[in-house]
Amino acid sequence: MSDSKKVRFVLTRFDPDQDQVPKTQEYEIPVRPDWKILDALNYIKDEVDPTLSHRWSCRMAVCGSCGMMVNGEPRLTCSTPLSDYGDVVEIAPLANFPVVRDLVVELEGFMDKFKAVKPWILRAKEKAVEEGTHRQTPDELHAFKQFSMCINCMLCYAACPVVMNSPEFLGPAAIALGHRYNMDSRDEGSRERNEVFRGEGTVFECSYANECTEVCPKGVDPAAAVNQAKLNAVVDWATSFVVPRGGGK
Amino acid sequence: MSVPANPKAMAPHRPGRTRTAPPMRPDGFPSAPRYRTYLLFDATGLTYLLAGFAVLAVAWSLGSGPEAWARALETLRSPIAIAFHVLVLVSAIFVGVRFFRLFPKAQPARIGPAKPPPRPVIHAMLYVAWAGITLALVAVLGGFLP
Amino acid sequence: MVEVFRHDLVIVGGGGAGLRAAIAAVEADPKASVALVSKVYPMRSHTVSAEGGAAAVAREDDSLEMHFKDTVKGSDFLADQDVVDYFVEEAPKELTRLEHWGCPWSRDEDGRVSVRAFGGMTTKRTWYAADKVGFHMLHSLFQHSMRYDRIVRYDEQFVTKLLVDDGVVRGVVALDVREGVVKVYLGRAVILTTGGAGKCFPFTTNGNIKTGDGMALAYRAGVGLKDMEFVQYHPTGLPGTGILITEASRGEGGYVVNGEGERFLVTRDYGVGQKAELGPRDMISRAIMLEVQAGRGIKGPYGEYVHLDLRHLGEAKINERLPFVRLLAKTYAGVDPVFEPIPIRPVVHYMMGGVDTDIDGATSLPGLYAAGETACVSLNGANRLGSNSLTECLVFGARAGIHALRHAAASGAGNESRLAEMGAAEQARIDSLRGRKRGAEKIAQIRREMQESMERGCGVYREQPSMQETVRDLDRIKKRFADVSLEDTSKVFNTELTAALELENMLDVAEAVAIAAAGRRESRGAHACRDFTTRNDQEFLHHSVMFLEGGVPRLDRKPVTITRFQPEERKY
Repeated sequence: MSDSKKVRFVLTRFDPDQDQVPKTQEYEIPVRPDWKILDALNYIKDEVDPTLSHRWSCRMAVCGSCGMMVNGEPRLTCSTPLSDYGDVVEIAPLANFPVVRDLVVELEGFMDKFKAVKPWILRAKEKAVEEGTHRQTPDELHAFKQFSMCINCMLCYAACPVVMNSPEFLGPAAIALGHRYNMDSRDEGSRERNEVFRGEGTVFECSYANECTEVCPKGVDPAAAVNQAKLNAVVDWATSFVVPRGGGK
Repeated sequence: MSVPANPKAMAPHRPGRTRTAPPMRPDGFPSAPRYRTYLLFDATGLTYLLAGFAVLAVAWSLGSGPEAWARALETLRSPIAIAFHVLVLVSAIFVGVRFFRLFPKAQPARIGPAKPPPRPVIHAMLYVAWAGITLALVAVLGGFLP
Repeated sequence: MVEVFRHDLVIVGGGGAGLRAAIAAVEADPKASVALVSKVYPMRSHTVSAEGGAAAVAREDDSLEMHFKDTVKGSDFLADQDVVDYFVEEAPKELTRLEHWGCPWSRDEDGRVSVRAFGGMTTKRTWYAADKVGFHMLHSLFQHSMRYDRIVRYDEQFVTKLLVDDGVVRGVVALDVREGVVKVYLGRAVILTTGGAGKCFPFTTNGNIKTGDGMALAYRAGVGLKDMEFVQYHPTGLPGTGILITEASRGEGGYVVNGEGERFLVTRDYGVGQKAELGPRDMISRAIMLEVQAGRGIKGPYGEYVHLDLRHLGEAKINERLPFVRLLAKTYAGVDPVFEPIPIRPVVHYMMGGVDTDIDGATSLPGLYAAGETACVSLNGANRLGSNSLTECLVFGARAGIHALRHAAASGAGNESRLAEMGAAEQARIDSLRGRKRGAEKIAQIRREMQESMERGCGVYREQPSMQETVRDLDRIKKRFADVSLEDTSKVFNTELTAALELENMLDVAEAVAIAAAGRRESRGAHACRDFTTRNDQEFLHHSVMFLEGGVPRLDRKPVTITRFQPEERKY
C-alpha cells in the first residue's frame, strides 16, 4: 500500500465509563481504492486503535449491523465505497438513536417497535403441515415481496424527521413490516394490525417526508408502506361499521 | 455539529439500561438539501393561508360598494400582489409535482382483482388530468365559453 | 454478585438452528421457558447470508430415496445413513412449516413453491426465495419466534463457559457485551447453535461472527469434535473479499470458464461427468485450482481466478432469479453479470465437522445438545451438498429442541450456589483479561498468522508436510496468545475483549481441524491430499473425533453408520 493515498477519518468516540458527551478523534490511514467505508474502520481497529468499537458481520450488505452516519448521511458502511468521498470522512453513530459506545447505538427501542406490529402470520386456524403449502401466485407474492426485503439496518430511522421529534412513532421499518404481513395472501391478521396502526404514534404521525425510502440500501419503499397502511387502516375502520368484526379477512 | 434529537428518541420502553449518550439529529437538519425539499413542501402551507386571506379580502370588498371593489382590483394589479400570486402559483406547481411523485405509491397494490397500471402511466394520467382541469377552469372563469 | 436467570432450556445462538429449536420447544410444551442467548441480535446471525436455497423433495419426479442417495454420495459415504434417512423425510415438512410461517418462497404461475437445480442433486428440489433464501428463512423464523413470550431473548451476550456440575450441563455463563459483566443462564439443558468457524481462515464467505464459539465451548468441556478436517471450499467466491456468489447461479445455468474462455468442467475430465457446472462443490473447487495451476487462470490483484459467466441467461432471468448476485457483483467486484463474467475463486464456506452429536442432537455430555453448522450430526460427511444445510438447521434444530426439552423435564435443578460461584470465577477471569498488559503480541497479528497458516496447511489441496507444519504453527501461535496485550479497559461494548475471546475459540477449533486433517491419510470429499490421492475405505471409512484432554488434543475415531447404500466409487 506504499503508493496509496491517505484519508483522514473523523470518528465519533464515546466511552460512557469516561466521557460525559461524545467527542471526535481523527485517524489518518493509507487506503486502497476498492475499499468500502467498513474496510477503513476495520483497518483502524486492527492496526491503529483497538479501542474503537463498531458493529459489523457479513460485510455483504445483508446482516444490517453496520449502519452509521457517513458525512452526515445514514449509510450501510460495508457497501459504501470509500472512493465516493474525499480526503476527509466523518463517521458518527446512527442519528436519532441513543449511543452506547463509539459507533454503537442502542437497539432495544427499535426491537420494541418491531414487535408491536405483530410481525408473524396470523390465522383464524393454523394450517396443518399435512395439508401442504399454501398456493400463492407470483402476483400475490409480488404484492408484499419488496416489503419483506428489510434487513433491519435502521438507516430509515436515522433519516426520519418524525422519529427525531416523536419517540412514540413506530417508524418506517416496523410499519413496513406490519404492512408486509397485511399484504400477504396467507395472513388473516390485518384487522389486528390495523388496530395497532390506528393507535397513537403510528402511521398517521408520518408526514410523508419520504426520507426513509431515499436512504434505504435495499430498495425497500417504507414510505409507500406507511402511506398504504394509512389508507388501509381508514378503510378497515370504515368497513367495520358495515361488516361486523370477527368475520374473515 | 449535530443538534440533539428528542432525548427519548428510539430509547427502549424500560428503565435500567443506562449510560447512553443522547440521540443526535441527522447532520445538517434542516438545511441539508434532502430535508429542504420536504420542509419547503410544508412551508407552502403558509402561502395558501395568505392567498386565502387575500381572496376573502377581495370578496369582502365586493360587498362594500363599488369604490372598495375598484380599490381591491387596483391593489391586485400592484407589483407586490402579482409577485405574491406568482409565488402561490409556484407553490402550487411544486406541491403538485411532489404530490404526484409520491401519491401513486401510496395507493394499494391492487383494488380487488384489478391491478393498477404501471407507475409511469399513472404519473402521465395525473398530469393530463391536472392540465385538463386547469384548462377547464381557465375556460370557465376566464369567460372563454360562449 | 452475579445475576442469575433461570429457564428450562438455554439455547446459545440465534440463527436458523437456534430459532428453530426454540420454536420447537415452546410449541411442544406450552409451559416451557426458553432462553435464547446470542452474541448478536438474531437477525444479524450468519444464516442471513445464505443465498441459493433449501433442499427438500417437492415434486412428482423426485423421491426421498433419490435425495438420500444424492446426499450419501455427495458425502463420499461418510454420512450416517440413518441420519440422512430421517433428514430427507423431515425436510419437506420443515420447509412447509416455514412456508406457513410466512417465508416468501418464489412461486410458479400455478401458486406452487418453485424449485431449482443445485450441485450434486439429480433433480430440481431446492426451494428458493430468489437468491436471498437464508435471509428470508432467518427473518421468517425470527419474526415467528416473536409471537412466543416464553422465548426470552438475551441479545449481545457472549457465552464464555458451559456450567458443568457433577458431569451434567446446568447452563452457561455469558459476558453481557453491553454492560461488561457476566451473567449466569441456568437451564436443565443447553443447545449449542453458534454456527461454523470460517473465520479461522483468511479467505471465507463467512461473516465476522463465525468464530467457532460453540465448538470451542463443547471441546473444552470434553465433548468430541467430529470430522473437523472436512472444510468446504465454495467454488464461487469473489476474489479479495470472499463474498459468496451463490451456487444457484450455476443451478440456473451459469458457466464456469477459464482464462481462455473454455468451459473446462465440460471439456476436461474433473470427475463431474454430465453434471458439469452442477457437480458437487469439492470437485468444482478442485477443478478451478487445477486450471489456475495449469496457467489457464486470470491474474488479478488478489491472486488468480476464473470466470462465472451468466451473460447467456439474459437480464430478465438474472433480475428475477439472481438479483442479489447481480448487486453483489456490481458492488463488490465492479462487474455487471448481465454484460461481463464474474471473477470467482474457491473460498472457505462451511465446516462439515462440528460438535459430535447423535441423531437427537445430544452430545456425550448429559444435557448438552448441538444443531446446525456447529454440530456434526453426520448428515454431510466429507462434503455437504449445496442447499442441504439450511434444511439441516430446521430438521435437526427442531429435533434437538424437542429432545433437549425432554431431557430438561427429566432432570432436576443443579446446585445453584455452586453454579453462581462458577459464574463469579468467570467474571474474575474476564476482568483480568480486559485491558490486560502482557507482551508485545497483538490480536490482529495473531489472528492473521493463524489464518494464513490454516490456508497453507488446510486448503483445497493438502499434503502431510504442510499440514504438520500448520499443526506446529498453531501450537506456537497458541502459546503466543498467552502473551497478548489488550488496550481497551472500558467495560461497555468492549469489542477488543470479545475479539480476544473469539480468537481463543478459533485457535482451539483451528488446531482440531489441522490435527484431524493430518491424521486422515487419504482423499475423501473435501479432504484432498496430494500425497494420498485416493479414498481408502479399508483404513479410513470412519469418523475422526478430536478430544481435548488436559489441554492436549487427541485424535480418535468412530464408526460410520451404513444401512443400505454400500460405498462405491464416487463418479458423476
